[in-house]
Amino acid sequence: MFRRIVPAVLAFGLVASMPVSAAEPVTKVSEQVNEKMVKIFGSGGFKGVVNYTTGILISPDGFILTVASQTLDTSELIIHMYDGRKMKAVVVVTEPVLDIALLKIKVDGKKIDEPSGLDLPYFNYAESLKRPIAEAGDWVLGFSNQFEIATRNEPMSVQQGTISSYAKLHGRRGIFDFPYTGNVYVVDAITNNPGAGGGALTDRKGQLLGIIGREIKNTLSETWINYAIPLNAKVETKDGDKPKIVSFPEFVSLGMQFKYKPVDRPVVVLTAGGFHGMRFVPNILERTPPYVDELYPNSPASKLVQVNDLVSFIDGEPIYSIKSFNDYMRKTRPGMTIRLEVRRGDNLQTIELKLEEWPKGLLPTVPLPKNPDPPK
Amino acid sequence: MLRSSLVALFAFASVGSTQDVNEANEQAMKAAIAKAAPWVVKIETAGGTGAVGAAGGPASVRKGVGPTSGVVVGADGFVISSAFNFANKPTDIFITVPGHPRQVAKIVANDTSRMLTLLKVDLKGLAVPAAFPKAEIKVGMWTLALGRALDNEDGKTPSVSRGIVSATDRIWGKLTQTDCKVSPINYGGPLVAVDGRVMGVLVPASPNGEGESAGVEWYDGGIGFAVPLDDINAILPRLKEGKELRRGMLGFNPKTPDELYNVPVIVGNVAPQSVAEKIGMKPNDKITTLDGKPVENFKDLMMLLGPKYDGDKITLTVERDGKTETFKDVTLGGISATISQPFLGILPMRDDPEPGVEVRYVYPKSPADIAGIQEGDRIMKFGPSAAPMLTPITTGRTQLSQIVRAAPLSLDFKVELKRKAGAKVEVVTLKLAALGEELPDKTPPKSSLERALGKEKKENDKELEVGFKYDLANKTTGRKYWMYLPDNYDKNKSYGVIVWLHDAGKGGKEREGKDVFKIWETYCDSANFILIGPQAKNGVDWVANETEELTQTIQQAIAGFTIDRSRVVVHGMGNGGSMAMYLAFNARDLIRAAVVSGAVLNGNAKDNLPNQPLSFYVVAGDKDPLIKEIKDTNEKLKAKKFPVIFRELKDFGKEYLDQKTLTEICNWLDALDRI
Repeated sequence: MFRRIVPAVLAFGLVASMPVSAAEPVTKVSEQVNEKMVKIFGSGGFKGVVNYTTGILISPDGFILTVASQTLDTSELIIHMYDGRKMKAVVVVTEPVLDIALLKIKVDGKKIDEPSGLDLPYFNYAESLKRPIAEAGDWVLGFSNQFEIATRNEPMSVQQGTISSYAKLHGRRGIFDFPYTGNVYVVDAITNNPGAGGGALTDRKGQLLGIIGREIKNTLSETWINYAIPLNAKVETKDGDKPKIVSFPEFVSLGMQFKYKPVDRPVVVLTAGGFHGMRFVPNILERTPPYVDELYPNSPASKLVQVNDLVSFIDGEPIYSIKSFNDYMRKTRPGMTIRLEVRRGDNLQTIELKLEEWPKGLLPTVPLPKNPDPPK
Repeated sequence: MLRSSLVALFAFASVGSTQDVNEANEQAMKAAIAKAAPWVVKIETAGGTGAVGAAGGPASVRKGVGPTSGVVVGADGFVISSAFNFANKPTDIFITVPGHPRQVAKIVANDTSRMLTLLKVDLKGLAVPAAFPKAEIKVGMWTLALGRALDNEDGKTPSVSRGIVSATDRIWGKLTQTDCKVSPINYGGPLVAVDGRVMGVLVPASPNGEGESAGVEWYDGGIGFAVPLDDINAILPRLKEGKELRRGMLGFNPKTPDELYNVPVIVGNVAPQSVAEKIGMKPNDKITTLDGKPVENFKDLMMLLGPKYDGDKITLTVERDGKTETFKDVTLGGISATISQPFLGILPMRDDPEPGVEVRYVYPKSPADIAGIQEGDRIMKFGPSAAPMLTPITTGRTQLSQIVRAAPLSLDFKVELKRKAGAKVEVVTLKLAALGEELPDKTPPKSSLERALGKEKKENDKELEVGFKYDLANKTTGRKYWMYLPDNYDKNKSYGVIVWLHDAGKGGKEREGKDVFKIWETYCDSANFILIGPQAKNGVDWVANETEELTQTIQQAIAGFTIDRSRVVVHGMGNGGSMAMYLAFNARDLIRAAVVSGAVLNGNAKDNLPNQPLSFYVVAGDKDPLIKEIKDTNEKLKAKKFPVIFRELKDFGKEYLDQKTLTEICNWLDALDRI
């Protein structure tokens, strides 16, 4: 009891006698957060896949959240706790749509769905969820075992930064080769390094905001991006044929009851899309702008679009070239309505086109890209 | 119990008071973001030269094509942005000002000194930012870098990176440095102070490079730059008038150009027709002050001159013969673009060890023709009419070429000739002309006296392997290339080099190399050229940062052969052509000319330097969608007074060349050692 008083009194004394700006509030917060974090070791170590990553504890008996990375593709996961203990863990369930996995610590002699008997410090996910979404400009902290700097009882690397934006990464903001399509927190610290996936993004006070994601590159701007998946993440997708909203909170609450079923992601079949009736100038460049060269009579575009219009945006997404126009159209179907913005002279005109079935003999001769492999 | 509650109280007190400070900062910054948000616009582009990371800039970072940012600077629709955002020459630009629908935007003018672009949209009554005074920007102040590429889901709030001012007056006094994460995500956006006023506009920059993408390799590295808004506001009137702003130059080289700090600035060469020449600066003048501020070394001068523009006025003092000379209200010039390459109008005979230069061919209506110089005459001496003695030509055409290139166009020159007929010695007087599009009207049959290695002829090495060789690789760099050494190679003749740079995606295919080889084989044999086809490092497309190693590969491939340094040429089409021009500008010790088809020059042309001459032959198809950009390329090269031949082919799109043009190119290549 006596021992515990001393540091607090000393700290108070320091604060009182020095300007407030010289204090270090992150010190205490990082101690508290570190207790709730684990280092995860699994498969990898080849082809650029590292065999280590980071996780956060979300229950006293050892449930862990991390990123659904290839590091988890093994039957034997090893966990290093903040106090140096080494334990085994297994994957309970993963949701590729969220890019998140739920793990649980395995205690010898106990089945995985039995209470483990552990009493660990943890982030209360349900309580954290009640706090408002962080905003651009909020100061944040990142905790992770990036580059495997820490093992056993060594603490995580702490970084400070700012929320740059709360936004979707796809579509008008760039091109990302990445399964998760929901909102993310973009941060201005370089948090997303090898092994950082599954780390914690917290506010200044150590309250959990999100899970640090993978290393991904925006192929439009050719820049790496640092982001975390927020606790309230929701993604609209399809389960088989039915529309379905996959939610992170539901994944966590059902997952901890061993009841969560990942969605059966539909196979996206690429087609020529719906028929619009525009033909563009010859596509001979990597980035030929889609200038309308000809309109098919009585087609959806024939009355609304004019020759020499430049198709600049579809449904608000920028169209950079004939190729990006075709790529976008492949996702459409006859019967759908698309909103075009075309440049006509110095103005942008908004035009709605209801797509039709392709007339016989008019189907584009451009080979379609290979359909992606069905999800595993 | 009492004790533990005390602990809790103390802990609360210590944490509580510090958090208030951070909380206050955090809230102030969020208020600043909200205040600045309406000034930050989103810029989207379409078309353009796309992914030619190759020829523009440092290239581990490709030129992005995603959305970028800008700052409103005029209530009537003026927006300033980073020139980086338009480096790929987009055909269409759209700007979204917060609270307004997307608009078509036009480029009004560029500032190639600070790498800014001014744009205009058809909007009125826009909110204009308050500038944070440049003089009050201090190291350590909080800064916020705002951008629109990754803005928030609410559509209002821009993206934010928080940092501090790292330094002021960077890169010759032009930029403020910050440790905010600055990248294509916010280039063109504002650097905002914690009170919401705008300190500057974010740009990539590097002390080691020029061009719109120099410095991109530092993106997100904690080294970011912004052009102070005060400086931008000062030049806005000129930009709004559509004036292209360039760096202001005097036009001289210091005697010790590599010594920045330890020696005073002593004038070395004064460039012909430059501001320095016009105001009467002389070699060995010591520069002492600029605008009343002391100049103790070259760095001082660069810091004072760096922020100035073409057209700005300065006052300069120099020390000459112990006396101080003052040059008042000197109007700075643009980059020394006004220097044309001087031209006598002859082709010299090659591989001739005797003193003097034998005239192989005389260009009709050239200074040489007008002065009556004829084929077969031998030029023995050359020099200004006013000089007491003419310079004897003892080391052949290289020496004559150097003398002519360094000669001012305004002076009269005397040429001492030994006539072919009767070996009579005569002196003629002439004025040099500016080299332009001259082409010989015939191909003179004989080009070489076959004594390149001295008066005695030498035998070819026995192991010499002539012919087409595929699958070669440089031992140190590992770069692959193919090469054609003419079947009739003779080491007593000097050979030009044609370096073929493949188009994007075409490299590494034996077929491509063979196709090129078949087209050029006969010409290489008859006009004495070695053909070499290096492959892009990644096998697909060229990136700028392979220039040095590529140059090394070429140098080593031709080492050991008898090379005519005045006829080393890069050649390519499409992206290969863009890379050819980039290489020409960046390997100027080696490359003397570039022949390009369907290729766009990314960024600006470099200066025409008399001691490292470059010539260009630019081919465009009238059906090529890039025709406008290729025409711009021609204009940019001509603006720097490079000798350029531009040919627009009718009904041509992205094809290579037609026969007529190929023949003309062959004649032109053979005449690259023109004097």
